[in-house]
Order: sequence, then C-alpha cells, then structure tokens
Amino acid sequence: MQNKKLKWKSDFEKSVIIENFVNRGWIKSQDKEEDSSDWNVYWATVWNVRNIFNPKSGFRLNDQQIINHFPNHYELTRKDCMVKNLKRFKREQDKETYEQQGWNFDFLPTTYVFPGEYSLFVEEFHRCPNQTWIVKPAARSQGKGIFLLRKIQQLKKIAGTTVTNNMTQLNLASKENYVVSKYIDNPLLIGGKKFDLRMYVLVTNYKPLKVWIYNKGFGRFCNEQYTTDVAEIENMFVHLTNVAIQQYSDKYSQKHGGKYSIDALKFYVESAYGTEAFQKMMDDIHSIMLTSLKSVQAVIQNDKHCFEMYGYDILLDANLKPWLIEINASPSLTTTTPVDKNLKLNLINDVYNIVLPNDDFPDNEQKQQQITKVGGFSVLYDESLDLMNRKAQKRQSVKIWK
Amino acid sequence: MQQFDNQEILMKLKSSKQFWDIKKKLKQGLGDQQKIGVNDIQKLAQSCEIEDQLIKLISHILKKSKKRETLKEDQIEFLNTSKIKWTELLFKNLDIVHQKTKNQEEDDTNTDSKLYIYDEKNLLAFLQTFKQQQQSNALYQNVQFQSNKLLNINIPLKSSQSILDKYQYLLLQEELQDDKINKIRKQIENEHLDIELEKIAQTFVPNGERCLLYLKYFEFDHQETVLQQNFAKLQKECLNQLFYDELLEIDGHEISEDTFYFVFQEQILTCLKCFIRDRTIKENIRIQLQNGVKKEHAEFQLPVTGFFPFKNISKYVAPLCYLSTKIHIIYALFKEFFCRYFCFLHAISSENNSILSLCMQIEEIVSTRSPKLFHHLKVIGCDTLKLIIHQLVYCFIGDMDPPHILTIYDQIIGHDSLEILVILCVGFLNKYKPKLLLAKNQENVQQIFSELREDRFQELVQFAYKQ
Repeated sequence: MQNKKLKWKSDFEKSVIIENFVNRGWIKSQDKEEDSSDWNVYWATVWNVRNIFNPKSGFRLNDQQIINHFPNHYELTRKDCMVKNLKRFKREQDKETYEQQGWNFDFLPTTYVFPGEYSLFVEEFHRCPNQTWIVKPAARSQGKGIFLLRKIQQLKKIAGTTVTNNMTQLNLASKENYVVSKYIDNPLLIGGKKFDLRMYVLVTNYKPLKVWIYNKGFGRFCNEQYTTDVAEIENMFVHLTNVAIQQYSDKYSQKHGGKYSIDALKFYVESAYGTEAFQKMMDDIHSIMLTSLKSVQAVIQNDKHCFEMYGYDILLDANLKPWLIEINASPSLTTTTPVDKNLKLNLINDVYNIVLPNDDFPDNEQKQQQITKVGGFSVLYDESLDLMNRKAQKRQSVKIWK
Repeated sequence: MQQFDNQEILMKLKSSKQFWDIKKKLKQGLGDQQKIGVNDIQKLAQSCEIEDQLIKLISHILKKSKKRETLKEDQIEFLNTSKIKWTELLFKNLDIVHQKTKNQEEDDTNTDSKLYIYDEKNLLAFLQTFKQQQQSNALYQNVQFQSNKLLNINIPLKSSQSILDKYQYLLLQEELQDDKINKIRKQIENEHLDIELEKIAQTFVPNGERCLLYLKYFEFDHQETVLQQNFAKLQKECLNQLFYDELLEIDGHEISEDTFYFVFQEQILTCLKCFIRDRTIKENIRIQLQNGVKKEHAEFQLPVTGFFPFKNISKYVAPLCYLSTKIHIIYALFKEFFCRYFCFLHAISSENNSILSLCMQIEEIVSTRSPKLFHHLKVIGCDTLKLIIHQLVYCFIGDMDPPHILTIYDQIIGHDSLEILVILCVGFLNKYKPKLLLAKNQENVQQIFSELREDRFQELVQFAYKQ
C-alpha cells in the first residue's frame, strides 16, 4: 500500500507530475534552496541532474532518493551524441554477430555532425543533387532552429557568413553543433498529412539493461497537406510535426491538438496494410529502441538512484519502415487535450509504480524481479534474463561435463 | 427483374473459380471410370458434399442476377403520404438553411451553426407525429394505443424476443487463438459466396482481412480499375460547386474535431462531394428516402441521389477510412453500406430495418425488461428514444472507438440487418441505468453522458442481456 510520506521535488510545474505525487500522499519538500537535498523523489531538469552528479558539487544521493535522469543521459538524447554512439556501436559489432542478434542499424538517415563532418557532408551533398536535407541544432528542442536545405548557400543561416559550394570547412556562428540528415521525403501520410510518432520508453537500469515500453503514445500530425513542392519547403506546417510549431497553424484544433492515438494508428496500419505488415513495423520499432539503448549501454553511467523515461520520435515512411528521428530525455508533460492529460497522468503514475513499487526503494536485485507488466508498461527487454539463462546454461554444461 | 435461363446460369458458373474446383473434384472422384452416368455423378456429388456446394453456388448466382429494386411504396399507405410530407418539410428547411447561409455571408458575426437540412432529432420528432395521425384515423379506432410509448404505431413488427435470441450467440464469443484466426484468414482469402462471408462476419473478422471481406461481399474484389475510373469521373464533377457542398463542409467540422477521425477530414469531404453527384445511387439504394419535387422555383431540387444530405452524414464515411489507403475503395464501401443499410435509418418505412421499426423494438424491449428505467425517464421528461436516437441513427460512431464500430459493421453484413443496433442501444441504456435512475432532470442526464466514457461492443452486448 502506498502510504509512505515521501518528500517530492519537481523542477516542472506540471499537473501530471504534481497530481501524481499528491495523490500518493507524498509531501512537497519545503526546502526552498535549489540545490537542497531534502527530498526522496525528484523530477528534475537535465541541468540540475548534471549539477547533482557533478563531482565538484560534493553531493551524494542516499538510498532513499530517486531521480529521473541518468548522469550522462545526453549520450543518447543529444542528437550529435546519439549519432556518434550509434555509428560507434555499429563499427564495434561484428557484422555476423549483429545480424544473428537481430540488430539492425538501417533506421538512422544518413547524418553528419557539423562542424566536424562538414567536408563529408559536402561530398555526399554533391553526390545526391536532388536530395533534400534537414538541419537541426544538436541540443535544442520543440523544432527550434530546424530548416530544410536544398542549396549549400542556405547554410549561411548557421554560418553567419556566405557559404559556397567549394568550401571544405564550416565555421558556425554559434558554439552549438548541428546535425544534418537526409530528409525522409516520402513519409507515410494519413489523410494526406505527415506525422511522426511519440512513444515512451522507461529504462530502470543500464547494466544490466532493463527496458519498458508504454502501450500508449500518439502520432503528431501536421496541419497542412504534405507536398514535396520546392515552393513549400519553408512551410513548417507541412514538414515539422512538433506541436510547438503546429499550434500556430490556423487549422490547429484545441480539441485534439493534432494528436492521434497510437492505438488508432496501429488499427489503421493493420486494417489498411494487413497484419503481417503491421507486425513487422512494430518489430522494427522495438528493434530501433533496443539498438539505440544498447549503443549507449557501455557509456551511460549506471546509477541505482536513477531511471529515465524517454520520448522516442519515430517517423514511418511510405513503405512502413520506421526511422529514428530523436530521443528526448525530457518529453513534454504539457497537456493539450483531456485525452492527452489522461495519457500523461497514467504514464507518470505507472512510472512510479515501477520505480517505487509500494513506495519502496528497491535495490538492484529487486529491480530485476520478473514482473513484466505494470499498468501500461510492458518489459521490452530484460538483459538480466539473458544473463540468468547463460549462467544456467553454463551450470548445466558444467554438470554435464562433471 | 432480370432472370437467367439455364444456358446463362451455366455461363455464369463457368466464370466462377469454384465451379472449376468442383469439376476437378468430381473428375478425381470418378477416376478412370469408362462409363459415367448421371447417377454416378449424383452419388459422388452427394457423398462428398459437392452437391451442396453446387446448390449454394447456383443460388448465389441467381441472387446476384436479381437487379436490386428500390423500395418506393410502403405497404402502409399513411407512411407513403408521410414520406411526401417529410420531403415537403425538408424542402422548407432547405430554404431556411439557404437563407441563413446568405445572411452569414453578409454578416460575419452571425455564426448560426444550425446549417443542416435535418438531424436525428428532427426525424424522431416527425415520426412522433404518426401516433396522433393514427389515433385520429377511423381505421385504427379499435387498436389499443399505449400512451407511455413515444412511437406505438400499427406496423408489422418482428417480435423483440426473436431479435434478442438471434444475437444471443454473441454472449458466448471467446477470444480466438492464433491458429483459429489464421484459419479464418485463409477462409476469407478463398471464399466467394456471400452466405459464407456472412457467416464469417457474424463470428469474427481479423482486422487485417476486413477490407478484403467487405470487397468480396460487395463483389468489388476484381473491380478496382472500374471503381477508380468511376471515382475519378465523380471527382471531376466536383469542380462544379453545388450549394450542398457548403453544407457538407460545415458537417465535416464535427469530424475534424474527433480524435479518431480528424486525420481523414479531407478524404471524408471528398467522398461526400462525390456521393451527392453520383447518379447510380438512385437506382442502387434499397429504399427511397424522399419523395417529391420542389415546384415553386427551380433553384434547389433534390440532389441526383434522390435525397438530401443530413447532419452528421460524414460520420458514416469516417470508420471506413481505416480500411484502405485508397480513396476510391473507401468511397465504394461507403456507397454500398449506405445504399444497402444506412439508408433505412433515414427512411419513412415499415420495413424491418427502418428507423421506425428499430425505435419501436427498442421501446418494446426497454419497457418490458427495464420498466423502472423506462418509467423513470418518462417522469423526468427524458424519453428513452430521445436519449438513444443519436447512437441509433449514427451507429454509435463517435461513441465507440473505430475497432468496435467496424465490429458493428461486420454484424450488419453478417445478418444483412441493422438489428444489432437494437441490441447495442438496449445495452447502452442498461449500462447507464444505475446513474440514470438517480437523475432528477434532463440536465443530470446530459451530465452523465458528457463525462469521459468508453463504450465497447462486447460490453454493450453483455449489458443488453442483463436483467
């Protein structure tokens, strides 16, 4: 029974977090200091988490504290780091091994990180003259700073100076990195409109890896009919699915907020494309999640005080192939519609039912217990089972040998 | 009515794959016999059920050979005159709506949203007037009229017990295992006879095969090119604007706010604009909806379909958008569903599937099996039928999620009937009975249904049979 008066702290004034904490009978930490440690449960910003885990802060979390980010989550959630880690992981895998394991790396559009890989980009750019590219700041969110590129000269936007075709180096006006990817110009359209998927994944442990996937999510729809017409290339209402952008469209509806439930999407794909195609699509999506998490498993600082709920952004193309757009460490908990609120309220509730079952702080062993479903979450992958199986097999083979 | 002679039946048989499969089976069964008589063939056919298959195939061909006739005249004369009066009323409404749209063009601040020719409440109110007409009619003086029912009109009605018995099998439906589902998939792929497809539709239709089943049932599975061409022609005609287009655009606003259907808004509108221009509807529709031609001036006549578009017509198209990525397929399915089934929900008729019959069945079941609820709703000024009319006329679209709506469509095909709606409406009322019995007035009742709720097909079926 949830009757422990845990102290909570939140950097976000979001009803879905606060209502959840209050409904559990938890008490708000009264300590006004930003760097206060008088809490058991903290829903923090990524910056505050970084400060907490900064060795210079001298802060050590105790056994009765739990926080919603891993110290160096950015290895997965910064666009440039994610690309770098996936490329490294792919190189490290023996081709035969990863095919046997079912790893598939063909879900990331060709991507270059600026400024470091600018010359490689230029080579590819000239090789594919009809290709549209999408330029994104590596560490920003909500569609800010994103634009579509057809001519090298457009890079003036981020270089601050004229950019010509024969330049092999790019000096960026600001300090931030950019990622430039091949634009997927044949997205799956429903009703003629482009959309992407927001799906939620919870990681409670990286070593061994334990991944939960949420059964609810949504498609975020553009308000304008999709077109590859060059004249509409700067029309963000056609190309960018971020709600932060679409909410300014004349056609934006407060009632549904452009959000289409993932259940409805699954039903549509299965009904219109068939069960086999639907199943393959889901398997591919799960594979993307696992491969991406595996790619950072070695680099993420695992910590028993930490868990992380990621917002995966996936784009389906016209062949139902899913592509990974990005992974968000702090998926928006703003609610735009009653359905949205219901989803996110239940989401956070289920997160805490997993990470603090009955308000208990589980140790590592308890974290590995064989519950596979909690609320809307199901276990997608539990590496400890693999390890147990291997140990059992080893014991068995030793027995046989003896 | 077109009828085939034996030669024509044989030609049709030879064009069916099943015929050649049967012939192959017979050949294999007869082996290398030198002399084969009619008796040998008959014996073999009877022993391995080939005779049954052949009979079904021939009756299927004969059934399809009958040209669909549109029911124009009802067996009950006052319903025929009522249809004319209804049409006259709708013409008047059309004039009012036209005037309102003109006013709105002139005055932007006037945003009267009642820009439709009729809705389900108007239809029910019109049906209610029959009772008074009947009571004053000398022919019905000896008939006992129960004053507590909204519609108690003397039309031939199926017994409500027979409807309840017909759908009782749904209570026993269990979740199917994968191997059974795969078996059904293969059946749908291989089956062509409508009677067999109906059986499948009655039991379980896998999501991935629903579109195929519907296309086969309506005999569209090898006609995609024709459907595409027909649709393209209609789309071209949409370039000439009609006044009704405006009403359809306004009607689409509600769908554009629905979380399950907003993504299909443009497709739905395109389908409806083509629909009201489709001349083949008048000859394909099972029942005539309106009867009359505007005489005074020729500005607005009935559309070529023979009936006016009504409020929420968009709802009928919406669930079908889940079945295909191709708009001409969605259109073909919508057109067939409307012409075969949904038309009855807007027809002044004594037919079994008509809105009048369905309403009376619901009143009968609720008044006999839940008399307390029936009476309580009357007392608080909230009639049973007024409460349920929206769900009935629009097949629960907007109340249930799309998978459940398409299960309703499966049952409609499965039984070639709309009676499943009676079961679901009774179930709906039973589900909310505890809260409804506590309601003191109409506002309380509205409050109950304005809360976030989730109604499911199987759940409402269970409630329908709860006493």
